[in-house]
Amino acid sequence: MSSSTGTPRGLHNEVVDAGTGTTTTWDALPTVRYPDPAVVLVDSSFEALPFVVAHSRTDGELLIVAGSRMEPALSAELIEAGFTIVHGGDRLEPPAQARRGGEPDRLWLLTSGSTGRPKRIGHTLETLTTVTTDQAPRRWLCPYSPGTYAWWQLVTLGLALPGQDLVVVDPADVEHWVEAGVTHEVSAASGTPTFWRQTIMQSGDRLRDVPLAQVTLGGEPVDQSIIDQLVELFPTARVSWIYASSELGASIVVHDGEAGFPIAWLDNPAPDRPSLSVDGDELVIASPHHGKGLGGPVRTGDRVVVEDGRVLITGRLDSDEINVGGAKVSAGQVRDVLQSHPDVAWASVRGRKAPMVGSMVVAQVVAATGADDAASLPVRLTQWCRERLPEYGVPRMIRVRDEIPTKETLKSDV
Amino acid sequence: MSAAMNPLSRDQLRALMGHVLAAQGKTLADDDAADLREIGFRSLDFSELALRVEDEIDAELNFEAAGLREIKTVGDVLDLLEEIQAS
Repeated sequence: MSSSTGTPRGLHNEVVDAGTGTTTTWDALPTVRYPDPAVVLVDSSFEALPFVVAHSRTDGELLIVAGSRMEPALSAELIEAGFTIVHGGDRLEPPAQARRGGEPDRLWLLTSGSTGRPKRIGHTLETLTTVTTDQAPRRWLCPYSPGTYAWWQLVTLGLALPGQDLVVVDPADVEHWVEAGVTHEVSAASGTPTFWRQTIMQSGDRLRDVPLAQVTLGGEPVDQSIIDQLVELFPTARVSWIYASSELGASIVVHDGEAGFPIAWLDNPAPDRPSLSVDGDELVIASPHHGKGLGGPVRTGDRVVVEDGRVLITGRLDSDEINVGGAKVSAGQVRDVLQSHPDVAWASVRGRKAPMVGSMVVAQVVAATGADDAASLPVRLTQWCRERLPEYGVPRMIRVRDEIPTKETLKSDV
Repeated sequence: MSAAMNPLSRDQLRALMGHVLAAQGKTLADDDAADLREIGFRSLDFSELALRVEDEIDAELNFEAAGLREIKTVGDVLDLLEEIQAS
């Protein structure tokens, strides 16, 4: 796609700024230049797109990130690593001893930093372009924060494949995306389960007016109840979920309308496809879409359980397993039970330090729009869980929140 | 526990204990000498009660300060929680 891979084939695709209504094509975007190497801070998703085109033409080393994610310590680290930081008309140059030439083709992503400071992961347009074969024409909603892996997935799709238009929405405006989706006739949308739950809560039946033929979920564990809700809302659409990360790229894609993936996909390597395995209860992936220096099997840190022939990804290893008096409980499985209740829009489950038993299962929920008597919800959910979980897995404390807490990554903020 | 916190009274502790038991379909006896096994108050119930006390007083309870002891009756639970709040 860059000079090493040829001219992008999607340059005539449309790109739409949902915030302003500006509609243009990739090749008609303003021409921009950037120092090599550069970190480009943007204040909107649309503002980032000309820099993507510039990279595809010049190969200059580049990291795109939302200005809101930049912190002084990170800025200092990037300057020391030789980057010039560009933000609108402002430039912050590296000190003389740190200056260097750019690495051709290199694109950098910052991990979300949920476990600490953001980490840089090296990619290229080629490794970020997961879909390379022509697809049915679509107009994709891109609600992700600029520069994140999920954002790049949609951007490279729009840039690489003819017929794949993009409607970009900034995370700060994401609650208004449904109207933009109707106006701009969005036919495909990708978001986290939290994003979809929030959208269903806020938009209700208006969501059905978005002419979606493709609904995609990813970025968080995907449970059956959210898939079922989306299938009900969009009965003719394909509902898919994707397991992807900055480090490994898109590694699992499931289209059959079920949570998890078939157990037959484990230990079944094929050329040019990610290889999946489980070590203990951890998902291990060797991916052809991996970032720089991450070849071979990579421990994902994600916990899996096998149920009814499906491998379910329940959550992060370091937080999913709750030890209640020696009995092990999966927070993800408890969360899925709560979210399968018709009056629950969203749930989060964690272990809380407690005397005598070490940890107890506690939960937060948001009631679904139109739910019966929210005040009695904790009691009804306790009964619901008792019928479906062992005693030690039943949340002893259930807090009802008013709104689904979300982060800029569109993931749940708990 | 911080001195700024307001500890729960014995009556408030008893009411919370009754609430925890009621959620499990059990009833708290009026008598402090009531045996915990007989009323079905178990380790999960005790843990839940402790967390509810923590939430009420907005502070973490330090059970290590109370040392090891036998907790056999309703009164033992209330004594322990009163003591820990005061420590």
